[in-house]
Amino acid sequence: MDILFISKYIVVIALIIVMLAALRASAYKSTSMGLLGSSIVVNAFAVALLIVGGLYNLEFYRDISLALIFFGFVGTVAFAVVLGGDEK
Amino acid sequence: MIEYIQSILLIIAAILMIISAIGLVSLGKDTKNIVYARIHIAGLFDIACIIAMIGIGQYLLAGIYFILAPFIAHAVANAYWKKEDRENNVDLQNVEVVVDENHPFIHPKEKMRAFESENSEKLKTDDRFSVTTLEINEDE
Repeated sequence: MDILFISKYIVVIALIIVMLAALRASAYKSTSMGLLGSSIVVNAFAVALLIVGGLYNLEFYRDISLALIFFGFVGTVAFAVVLGGDEK
Repeated sequence: MIEYIQSILLIIAAILMIISAIGLVSLGKDTKNIVYARIHIAGLFDIACIIAMIGIGQYLLAGIYFILAPFIAHAVANAYWKKEDRENNVDLQNVEVVVDENHPFIHPKEKMRAFESENSEKLKTDDRFSVTTLEINEDE
């Protein structure tokens, strides 16, 4: 078996573990933790999509991953600006 | 050869991801400034993602992610500091410090402010910082 193939699967498993940890972290008390956790989940899903798309020859996987990274960033920053409120 | 380098990068990324997942969950509840610590751990995960993207050959996406990730961390930390951190720690902002009046080096804050304000008696009488202007007449 190819070593690159195995290491890609190892990264996907690690990404799943990170997603579970981020879901747990997003359930903590503070609202900012929810924001951070959701941001981590989106980014982890984007990287997992890149790897799985390369393994199984999915179409448009790179475009969807780019959209996830970019719009995840926009959504996180927008929510953070609203959460911060106006400067007094 | 390239395959080995790629797989080494991917395994390093996987190890960093697992370390960040353990850190994200295992930080104690009573730790001081825990949200900032978790944002720091998220930064480790971002770098692991960038290494993984380089490992699978997506250099452009890795570059974009490398630019965008610090903005996310800063936005979340700034939002927490401006709102929740201040509201939860109002008591810490109004700490009264007791200073001995006769201490030779440490002076009360109010006394120093009154001392340095523009209307203080000391600055009025102090003429060390007076500004003189020298007028040069070219005809002479």
